Amino acid sequence: MKPKAAAFTKIIKQNEGVIYKITRIYTNTEDDQKDLYQEIVYQLWKSFDSFRGDAKVSTWMYRIALNTALYHSKREKKKGYKVSLDNIVLQEENYDPVFEDRLKLVYAKIKILNDLEKGIMVLFLEGKKHEEIALIMGISKTNVGTRISRIKEKLRTEITKN
Amino acid sequence: MLVQEFQELKKNYEQKSQKINGMNLEEMQTVWSEMSDQLENQKKLTNKLIMEMTREKYRTKIDKIFNYEFIGAIICFIAAIFLIVNFQKLDTWHLMACGIFVISYLFIIPLLVLNSIKKMRRINLLKNSYKQTLIAYVKSRNHFLFMQRLGIFSNFLLLLVSLPVIVKFSDNVDILSTQSTNWYWYLLILILFLILFSRWGYKGYKSMTTSAENILRELED
Repeated sequence: MKPKAAAFTKIIKQNEGVIYKITRIYTNTEDDQKDLYQEIVYQLWKSFDSFRGDAKVSTWMYRIALNTALYHSKREKKKGYKVSLDNIVLQEENYDPVFEDRLKLVYAKIKILNDLEKGIMVLFLEGKKHEEIALIMGISKTNVGTRISRIKEKLRTEITKN
Repeated sequence: MLVQEFQELKKNYEQKSQKINGMNLEEMQTVWSEMSDQLENQKKLTNKLIMEMTREKYRTKIDKIFNYEFIGAIICFIAAIFLIVNFQKLDTWHLMACGIFVISYLFIIPLLVLNSIKKMRRINLLKNSYKQTLIAYVKSRNHFLFMQRLGIFSNFLLLLVSLPVIVKFSDNVDILSTQSTNWYWYLLILILFLILFSRWGYKGYKSMTTSAENILRELED
């Protein structure tokens, strides 16, 4: 394997969980999730040359993955070359029923947010600092704080409604 | 005994649902981080599969629309060239005016539509921030919708203006100079369709752009 490919596969393997979570948020079916997974890996590969040395791996990865997820979720896909879906084995979510219920609720709550909030929320849950969220999202650090407060409020309102 | 067990189960369930519905951001973070730990322990991808995924990308719906529009544009250009070559057959000023309109239309509209699709395809996922991607997508989609509707709307105008030109070429008759009642019927039906269609088109366009404007306003906050 060539050095570029080796470096790339190493990064993808280290972050496969991250890509999985993003695809889970932005899609509704398993097939769509696999499609998006492939598209994100493809876009990361395309930008791999321009990335090296430019930014932190995580900033680069989240930016491309979220941009692709956002754009991909708004378009319908048509046939073209793709890895057979059966070959892509994504992580399995086999949790205990109580945890699974709670996780489903987390996903459901994220899905009620608008596109911008959804992106911020994913990064927030991933434990990213406000500076990095601002960099990936393209908004100011103060704005990140404001948006997170609004998200909290939105979730609280949702709880009251329920 | 059974009733007691049922009551207990019900109580447990209600407590659990209350806990779930009352989940706040901090609790969501805990669940998320627990899930992340579990995912971290599962590594499924192989080098071969990762490299296979990098091979090609999908053909999207946008690519398909572009191809259709491109074929349409070529047909329009051929028709426009045919009109230019045979322009001398249009021997009155009103036929010439109709001819110029049709030729201009056949060149301009396809180019505008193709350009708006190209704008949508040009969104840079690799360099843009998330916000820029969202804004670029909403704006280009809006522009495309506008162009698409403008295109369909102006097709009625084309139908109206191209008829005298077509009849002149096919039958060598200037219908604008003859007092034909068929012409008036054609005009009436066309105007009727135009009114109905514009009302429908405007409503659809308005609701789509309003939602797009809301997203943009939200982003500018």
